[in-house]
Parts: sequence; structure tokens; C-alpha cells
Amino acid sequence: MGDLNTVITEADVHHILGRTGYGPAAKDMKRAKHLPGLTRADAATYLLGLKRKTLKAKGNTPQEIHDKWMKHLTKGKTPLQDKTVMFFHDHFSVSLGIFDDIPEIAELHIRNHYEAALGNFKDYVKRINTDPAMMLFLNTNRNNKDIPNENYARELCELFTLGTHDLNGLPNYVQADVVQIARAFTGWRIDDDGVAFLQGGQHDTMAEFPARGPKILFDNAHGFPPGGASFTVGGEGANEIDEVTDILFAHTDSDGANTVARRTIYRMLEYFCYADPDKTIVDEVIADSSFDTTWDIAEAIRAMVHNDVFYATTEAQPFNASTKKSVKWPVDLVVGTIRMLKLKPQGKELVHRGGNYLTLYQHTLNMGQTIGNPPSVFGWGWEEAWISSSTLLARYTFIRDIADMRHSGRFKPEKLVDKNLTDPGEIADATIAALGLTDQFTTAEHDEFVDYLSDNGATLSLDLRDYDVRNTKLHGVFALVMQSPAFQTQ
Amino acid sequence: MAITRREFLKRAGLATAGTVVAPGLFGGNPWVRNAFADTIGDRYFVVLFLDGGNDGQNTVIPLDDSAGLLTAYNNNRSTGIGGLRIVPGDTSQPSVIPMVDPNGTALGLHPGLASLTSMYDAGNVAIVQGTGYPAYSLSHAESTTIWETANPTGNATIAGTGWAGRHLALEYGPSDIYAVTIRDAVAGEFRTAGTSVLALQSLADFGFPIDPFDPGDQAIYEESFQDVYAHAQASSEPLTTYLGNSGQATYDSTQSYPPLHATYVADRGAFNNAYGALGTSVSRNLREVAKMIYGTSNATPGISSRFFQLRNGGYDTHADQGGADPDGQHYALHSEVADAVDLFFQDMSDMGVGNKVTMVIWSEFGRRIPQNSNGTDHGSQGPMFVIGEPVNGGIYGNHPNIAALDPQENTVYSQSALDPFRSTDFRDVFGTLLKHWVNMPELQILSDVLPLDTVGSPNEYWQTQEFDMGFL
Repeated sequence: MGDLNTVITEADVHHILGRTGYGPAAKDMKRAKHLPGLTRADAATYLLGLKRKTLKAKGNTPQEIHDKWMKHLTKGKTPLQDKTVMFFHDHFSVSLGIFDDIPEIAELHIRNHYEAALGNFKDYVKRINTDPAMMLFLNTNRNNKDIPNENYARELCELFTLGTHDLNGLPNYVQADVVQIARAFTGWRIDDDGVAFLQGGQHDTMAEFPARGPKILFDNAHGFPPGGASFTVGGEGANEIDEVTDILFAHTDSDGANTVARRTIYRMLEYFCYADPDKTIVDEVIADSSFDTTWDIAEAIRAMVHNDVFYATTEAQPFNASTKKSVKWPVDLVVGTIRMLKLKPQGKELVHRGGNYLTLYQHTLNMGQTIGNPPSVFGWGWEEAWISSSTLLARYTFIRDIADMRHSGRFKPEKLVDKNLTDPGEIADATIAALGLTDQFTTAEHDEFVDYLSDNGATLSLDLRDYDVRNTKLHGVFALVMQSPAFQTQ
Repeated sequence: MAITRREFLKRAGLATAGTVVAPGLFGGNPWVRNAFADTIGDRYFVVLFLDGGNDGQNTVIPLDDSAGLLTAYNNNRSTGIGGLRIVPGDTSQPSVIPMVDPNGTALGLHPGLASLTSMYDAGNVAIVQGTGYPAYSLSHAESTTIWETANPTGNATIAGTGWAGRHLALEYGPSDIYAVTIRDAVAGEFRTAGTSVLALQSLADFGFPIDPFDPGDQAIYEESFQDVYAHAQASSEPLTTYLGNSGQATYDSTQSYPPLHATYVADRGAFNNAYGALGTSVSRNLREVAKMIYGTSNATPGISSRFFQLRNGGYDTHADQGGADPDGQHYALHSEVADAVDLFFQDMSDMGVGNKVTMVIWSEFGRRIPQNSNGTDHGSQGPMFVIGEPVNGGIYGNHPNIAALDPQENTVYSQSALDPFRSTDFRDVFGTLLKHWVNMPELQILSDVLPLDTVGSPNEYWQTQEFDMGFL
């Protein structure tokens, strides 16, 4: 058990930087070398103080957007911001690939994420309400007073704020609420400069549509009185969408707790820690960060790093049925590995030089995650949903591509493992340590790596200074460890 | 409680494998021995999912006004710019495909489906109108999960498994691969922890990656790879076990599946090129299915796949849907499916298995009956298609009553036997397929695959027709 005053080790720092960034690379660890021996609170303060900046990722094709974004991630100058943006890129999911002919729309969307991801979550939702990419993706720009289009209103409730059901499995809203929210968004359009505005003539008013009733939500439900919550307190017009958002953020669930706070923190815990966190842990993080009143995303991350929940996935072998592990996202596997191994993908298209290798775009596409282009408004499926025979094979292929990258000398395992080692067991240990997996294998698993290195005991001593031995067995054992189940989780 | 898609995916169990054990160990498994009596046998089953909610109302269109349906259709679908109305007599539009239901009501099929006409005329296309389930959800994720699990009421005993997966788990051993999804993730219908389900996008690219530096090292490398995964399979940590099982099954199938590609291309070049000429995602994916059916039907060692699932996306036509206009989105969606399906069945017939293949096509919901400015929002019921030579073609089920909508302006789901617009529960369609195509005994379907609802109005969906809808 621990709290914000718990002293952290170097392994803890490695874990903290890996889960709140990509890798980590050796230079990330070097920059944080003062942290071991200090407290979780110090680590959290360090994280929140890391550099932030915006990202300009303009591209005419999904691959161009992806490549610019991926390059930014592999450089890793703003790790906490990068990692948090990736969560919200899934949360407020837009398939940017549809904006081929208007790259400014996708660029602005990504910039919005970079500016908002560590700020106030309620303001973030309001920003997304009028984000042009989202407006086009979910048809807000087609939402007319005569026949309101419900597409955005439904996803605002289901995916961006409340969820269809609360943590007790009870429904959070009814179709009538979706219809009312769609009314608030009628008439919103995008001008030639890409700025959202309300075209008054297309906005639904109660005077024109008396049959639709008053503009209210959650009639006598979810913490609101009989008659519901009105979203025209400031009159009818452009303010309605902000008022709707404020009402959603005041919605309470079947325990009387704030629904948006619980759902958002639940999802962030799944992202930064592991799947299906207990309600009590969700409530602890909310209480420690006051997320249900401040909506401060960075403070929520601080509360997580203080909490034992954040360290649960570091559990060592032997594992048991209650051990917590989490499947690495494809972007984690790709960017994390590249940074951990000090690789530099070449050229605009991020190909590994020196052979017939796939681009990073193709690799992540095959693994089921194209940055900038999630498959639908639901974002990606996490955890076991990342894994199928198809995506596993893509992971193996990516790793094989990296381990093969010897012709131009881009992957140099001899820089990570002492080439004077000769004992297969010691070489296996050094490889496992270089990949951050010490204590993640059983003795029996470890012995399989030894069997590989020694050709089932036929070779008891390896000369890694020998070009052929090194290029066969040292590259091979790196590939074997990286293709193992342990390297697919964190 | 209804489960969300995320929850479903998390609970779903194994993506690719149960416990992978040497097949020889299963000689004593009674289910495997029973399999020959009660299974799909030497037949094949293909599921095509139209992802996004296909507009059923513009797929099967009323052509006469006997129950006020044509008037209602015309009132809800407009003409002019953005209008979605399909007008049969309008010579400026491609013509609809005329059909007549058993009551003599004239119906028309969207003109984009023209390539299915010859199969329809030959009696090989059954259209089941008005399929859905009680208390419909307008959420893509929830409704898709309800269809995939065949579990509208959140019955905990079957939550998290796919309806076809429950069948597969009963009949086949943990390491058997009878089901394949043509995409990067396992289809929801197939999800089960009981047997292996393969997901692949392209057979040609499904080989285990090899390091060319020292080919002599590859054998010990692959041996060690399998040993590492065998340890993970035995782990008591569920995620590690899951990865161990999935990795081992993946490795095994990389050895047996990729050669099917070259064999098909060599033996069936004309069809291979014809799918390529269509150039759509659904045509490419059906070609992968055809390669595997060719492999299984030729008794290729290591190949046993008989259940296939593929999806076609793009049906969430909130805007710019288009009516009968060939440039419209809905027309394009219908024609790419019809062209590819028609070619696929020609291929099957030419391959000599035309009478062994049945396909079912479904979508998670229909769309709102009144259109919006140029598209449609989410709705309730829609038509399903069952296609193949063994099918008794024609119109099944009633057209939804679009003249009397519910307060959400969707058609009303009704299971009353007295209702002339009685809806069809999609489980009756799946049940009929299981009983008459997969040869599952009815009692076993009811106990293990499609258990009767325990809330709402139990067993409405089964009692009228007892999984004998007549299309098979």
C-alpha cells in the first residue's frame, strides 16, 4: 500500500515514464535521473511540469497526417501531452482521412487536442462541440431546424460525456433527451475560415416548433427536478450548446455521483492503468483530484500517479489470476520500441533504411491502429480487442523488420548488451533487461531463450564479437523476446 | 442490463483460440464425435454484416398502396435535391427490381441491387422483411452487440459470446479452426472461448515473418517461439494465457493457410481476376472466402474452415445518402455488394459447391422512416437477405408498418400473431439457419445458442415458427 509520500525506485520511474509517454528512451530516464529515491508526489509534479507544445500535422492523405504525427511521437519531446492526446483522439474519435481535400480541418482538429488535452475537460467538450472536423464527421453542419439530425447529439451523450449506462448498469438518458440536444445544435455551420457559427435561420425555436415542447433535458431524473433542466436560461440561440454541455456535466448517476466524472476517470484509468477498475478506485481518484468540480485533466493524472492503482501492472512473476496487465496499443508498441532501441526511421515516410521494409504507417495499419484515422466514432477496441491472429502477425512482422535492420546498422543490439558476454544465460538476462522485462518471465520461459541462444545446449559459449554469431543470435534473441507475450503487455 | 460494445469486447473471451492442444487428444471428446451428425457437415456458411445501419426502407420499397404503405413512403421520402424517394415509373432513374410478397403486395428492390436479379429470379434469394428485436436500441454499438450476441435482453448466461460462436464451441475442439473472419479482428458473431477463430485480411500476406540473414537459424527460432508461447498458455494470468493461445493458433495457421492463395490463383485464374476487376473491399474479401472454401473442399491438410464472416462499412448515411441515383452513396453500397455476391455464387457454382453455400446478410438496424434534409437517422427494423442455391427464394416476413410510426418516428416492433405487420425477430432467422443449414437439433439451439428470453415476453420469437421460417 502506498500514497503520494511513497518513495519510488528507478524501476518505478521507468514504469511511470513508460505509461505516461512512449518507451521510455534512455534520454527520458537520464532527464529524470534525480527521481529515484524521491516520492510519487515528486514524480507527478515532474510529469506535469514536462514541456508541452502544439502539433501542426497538415497532410493531404491519411498517411501524411500519420507520418507527421508519428515523427512527433518518436522524437518524444512532450511525452505526457502526446500520451494524453492519444487517449482523447480515441475518446473524441474522428476519422480524419475523410478530409483529403481540406487538410486544414484535420490540422485544426489535432491542434485542438494538443491545446486542450491537459486542460479543463468541460471546456474541452465545448471546444469539440464546434470543432469543424467533428461537425463534419457527425453531420452537425447538416442539422436543420425542420428535421434535426441526431448524429452528434447521440454521440455527445453516449461517447463523449455520459455513456449509455452508468457504472451500475442503469441507463443515463432516453431518446427524448437526444432529440432535445439535437435541437440545440440545429443551424451550426462552418464559415470559409473554418470557424463555427450559428446560422440563425436554421435554428430550431420553441415559437416555430411548439409541438416539440420546451427545451429541457432529464425531466425529473438524474438529479434534475420535475420539469427537467432548461438549456435556454440565457435565451434561445448560440448559448444553448454550452448550456446543454453544462447540464450533462451536472448529471448524476444511480448512486447520486457525477456521471461524467466517473465515466471519464474510469476510462482514463483503463488507459493509464488496466481494464475494469473498481468503482471505489474511480471514486478515490475523483476525490483526490476534485475532478467532478474542477474538471482538471492534469490533476486527475496526478491523482492516479499518487495511487497504488497506477503501479498494479508492474507485478512480477509468478503471475496469478488477479495479476493486472494491459495490452500495449499498437502505437505504444511501435513508438515505445523505436525509442527504447534508439532507432531512427528514415525519410518522410518513416521507413527503416537498408532493406525491403514496411513503413510505420503500414505496420500500424496492419496492427489495427492508424493514428489520425480511427475506424469509427467509437475509436479503437482496447485490450483483448487489439489481439487477433491478424494483428498479432502484424506485431511479429514489425518486430522482425526491426531485428533485421542490420544492413545499414540502424539496429545495434551490441550497444544495448555487452558483446563481451559469452554465457547464453547472461546474454538472455541482458536482453530481457534492455527491453525493460526483468522479472516478467518465469525461469522456464527464460530457459527457452537460453535454448535458442545455445541451440538447445549444443553451444555453451557465444562470441558476440563475431559478426555472424552476433547477427544471427543476438538479433534473434531480441526478436524472440520482443515477439513474446510479455512484450505485448505493460 | 444492456452491455456496451467496450464491455462486450472485454468480456468476449478469446480472439483466436481456446486452449490449443494436440488434436489427437480430442479423439475422446464426445462433441467432436457427435459433430458428424449435427454439424454443418460438408457445407459452408457466410455471414455478411452491413455495418452502420442499412436503410431498409430504401432497400425494399412498397410499390402498391394496399395498406397505405406507398402513401406513407411518399410522405416520408421526398423528391428533389436531397430527396431519397425512389420512384418506380421515373425513367430518369434506374428501375427498381419488381417483387411480389406472398400476400400479393407489390414490392421493389433498390436498383443498386440489380446484379442480384438473376439469382432472385432463379429462386436463390430470400428477403426477410422487418427483422429486429424488442425494445430496439438506436446506438450502433449496442445494437451491433445485440445482433452479434443474439441477446437483446442481456441474458447473463450468454453475454459476451457470439451466437455462432456458441454453436462452434459445442461442436469443435479448442484448437480446431472452423471459423474465419476476413478482417483484423474476430467477428462478434464468432466470439467464444471454446474453439479457435481465425482473423486474417489477406492469405497471401499471412506467412510467419522470416529473417533472411541465416536461414539455418529459422528452425530453432520457430521452435523457441512456440516454446515461449506454450509457457504463456499455461500461465494463471488470464491476459498472458490469452496471448499465449492466440499466438500459438496464429503460428499454426501461418503454416497452413497462406498456400491457399497460390493454389486458388493458379487453378481459378478467371474468377480471381473477376473479383479483382470489381475492385471493392467486399469483392476482395469474398475472394479470400472463396480461396478458403476451395481449400477446404479439396481436403487440403490443415484447412477445415466452413464459417466465414466479412463486413462492408459505410451504411451510416446521415447525410448525402442518395435515392436511386447511381452517384449516390446508398446506390454504390448496394451495387458493390450485389456485384460481389453475384460473382461469388457464380464462383461457388463453377467450383462445384454451389449447393453447399448459404449466405446471410444483416445490419444492426434500419434507418428513420422520415428522411432528414438529405439522409436518414438511426431506426429500428430492416430486411435481411439469405442467399444461395439451397435457399427457397422469395419474400418472407411482413413489410414494417410505415403508416403508423412510434413517437420516435420508427416502425413498431410487434410480435402479435394477429398483427398483419407482425415483425420478425432476427433470432428466428438465425435459428432457422442453425436448424436447417447447420443441422443443430432444435432443443440444443434453444438450450445453448438462442435461449428464450427470461424477461419481457418470453419465447415470442420462437413459438410461432419454431425456427422453420421456410427459406431453407
